Amino acid sequence: MTSIALTPAEKPLRAAGTDAPEKSTRSSHSVLRYLHRNRWWITRVLALPVHVFVFVVLTFLLVRSMPGDPIRAMLGQNYTPESYAAMQERMGLNGTMFQQLTSYLHGIVNLDLGESIVNGRPVIDELQTRLPATLELALLGLGLSILLSIAASYIAVFHHRSVIAHIIRGYARAAGAVPEYVLAVAGILLFYATLQIVPAPMGRLDVDEIAPPTTTGFPLVDALLAGRPDAFWSTLAHLALPVVVMCAAHSALLIRVLVSALDKEADATATRFRIASGASTRTVVKSIYRRAAPASVTMAGTLFGYLLGGTVILETLFGLSGMGKYALDAVNSGDVVVMQGFLLTVATLSLLVFLLVDVTNMLIDPRRRPGVRTEG
Amino acid sequence: MTVPATSLTAEFFPSRTARVVQYLRHLRWAKVVPLLVLTLVALTSPLLLRFDPEVVVGPSSQAPDGTYWFGTDSSGLDIFSRTLAATRLNLTIALVVTVAATTIGCIVGLVIGMNESRRGPVGWVSRGAARLVDLVEAIPAVLTGLVIIAFFGVSTGTLMIALSVVLAPIQIRLVRTEVLRVRSEAYLDAARSGGQSELGLTLRHVLPNSISSAVENCSVIFAVAIIVTAALGFVGAGVAPPTPEWGAMLARGASDATVGRWWPAAFPAFALGLTIAAVSVGFNELLRRRRA
Repeated sequence: MTSIALTPAEKPLRAAGTDAPEKSTRSSHSVLRYLHRNRWWITRVLALPVHVFVFVVLTFLLVRSMPGDPIRAMLGQNYTPESYAAMQERMGLNGTMFQQLTSYLHGIVNLDLGESIVNGRPVIDELQTRLPATLELALLGLGLSILLSIAASYIAVFHHRSVIAHIIRGYARAAGAVPEYVLAVAGILLFYATLQIVPAPMGRLDVDEIAPPTTTGFPLVDALLAGRPDAFWSTLAHLALPVVVMCAAHSALLIRVLVSALDKEADATATRFRIASGASTRTVVKSIYRRAAPASVTMAGTLFGYLLGGTVILETLFGLSGMGKYALDAVNSGDVVVMQGFLLTVATLSLLVFLLVDVTNMLIDPRRRPGVRTEG
Repeated sequence: MTVPATSLTAEFFPSRTARVVQYLRHLRWAKVVPLLVLTLVALTSPLLLRFDPEVVVGPSSQAPDGTYWFGTDSSGLDIFSRTLAATRLNLTIALVVTVAATTIGCIVGLVIGMNESRRGPVGWVSRGAARLVDLVEAIPAVLTGLVIIAFFGVSTGTLMIALSVVLAPIQIRLVRTEVLRVRSEAYLDAARSGGQSELGLTLRHVLPNSISSAVENCSVIFAVAIIVTAALGFVGAGVAPPTPEWGAMLARGASDATVGRWWPAAFPAFALGLTIAAVSVGFNELLRRRRA
């Protein structure tokens, strides 16, 4: 990066008043100073559109590099020169490469991702109704995984002699060995088919229940907003198994990263210093967790990606409507426009999550901000 | 004088044979044997089959018994034969993907790492490529794999290419990090002042010193390749249906599971889990650094 550091040593110097701005220019100065001081996250946020643009170009090129003639493949028996031209238009494949790119970009800026080839519905509308449901599922899984890993890592590191700690460490070592679809099938067999303690894996509500009106798109939030606690609990019961499966399949990764970071930090000089200066156990533990956090926050970001990928499978298995199912249907019917929009949406989401991860880490540990020089 | 000298030489610079013997003697066979058995099964699977894995051989949904060891699925295909036959396909895909992703990772990682601090267009491209690798890595592998396969058509070849492309960034990043570390080592300056060319230097000194973490990561890549292959098979975007493949078998078994028939899904799931465990344990043991 190009920026030059605002070292910690410079800060008190400025605060001491070496630069007393003139009264007339004070406001503009303070804005500039504010921008300067918050460069670390502003530059990171400004980089986001650039990264998204890279993916826009990548998906664009990916579609253009499809082998054979996708339009003919799409038309199959219905091939006529007129239908060919019409399909070319619909897929955005008419004109020169540059014209295609500009019209594609123009569409994206106006939040227009094109229309489905199969049923002609605008992709953005479908995504708008489906994305919140999928996000809700993934976020529930992520939230539960994070809570679980904080609790589990506390036991594993600070009560490391207990039997539970050994079990947790063993579980963490097996991270990622059993994929979620295996666990999901096992879960359906055990909890639905055998024990019958979870509802049938078909949708978010029972067949005879009426869905609450859509306001936000997040099924759980909608149920609460509509004042329908019955629908809320029913949805929660239907989502319980998929969320637990996500958690069981992926939380081990997070626990492993967190435990190894905690092990390292629990032994660090900073911890000894705190203990030596008589800090309470609570403060010491908090400080250890803060220093161990960045690695785990990064892992949580990666985990979100895994969960998002997993929803494709879980939504199909549990009959939940959502983005994953939409994408899968598009894949099976060869709907290029939908896949293009889907890939772009997932990419943007992932980039947003990584932006959040970076900024959170820079908040937790200021040494991670770009251009900061540290001693030692 | 000569006697201790030779024994010293033998101790510190053992011959190739001695090193191999040493290596084999310190191997924990219990950890390697499952991997060897797995390889053997994959190689000889056509001989072990009891039935043709792609043909209906018995009544549908038959529970495991003496004839159909693992039972039959809802169309009457023998699950034992299919599980075994799939071993070869799934392992081959994972192996090819691991080798390809690691090779791409080494080459691209070396090129990016060595050129990153250069001025001019080469440096720009390298720095851009390094950022691009980070970006691509941010997207979940299952989804990119799914979309690539959808675009380029379902076949074993596309599957391998798609997975290699999706998983290579992990290896690229590992190699690149190591290259950046190795680049400032003094032995490179020594080699430079000895008149070695930059290319020779890269191949002779940088490459061997920077690929270890990527090679160790191979077992992870292998496991991910197996999981993603099966995941794509599971959602119906992998290998075409009649061909035995664990993911597709699991997907069919899922509907059996809802009505309480456990065997169609259980056996491919076990095969998947055992394979991942055997490969990661065995591979790590083979690569373990031994303290003499």
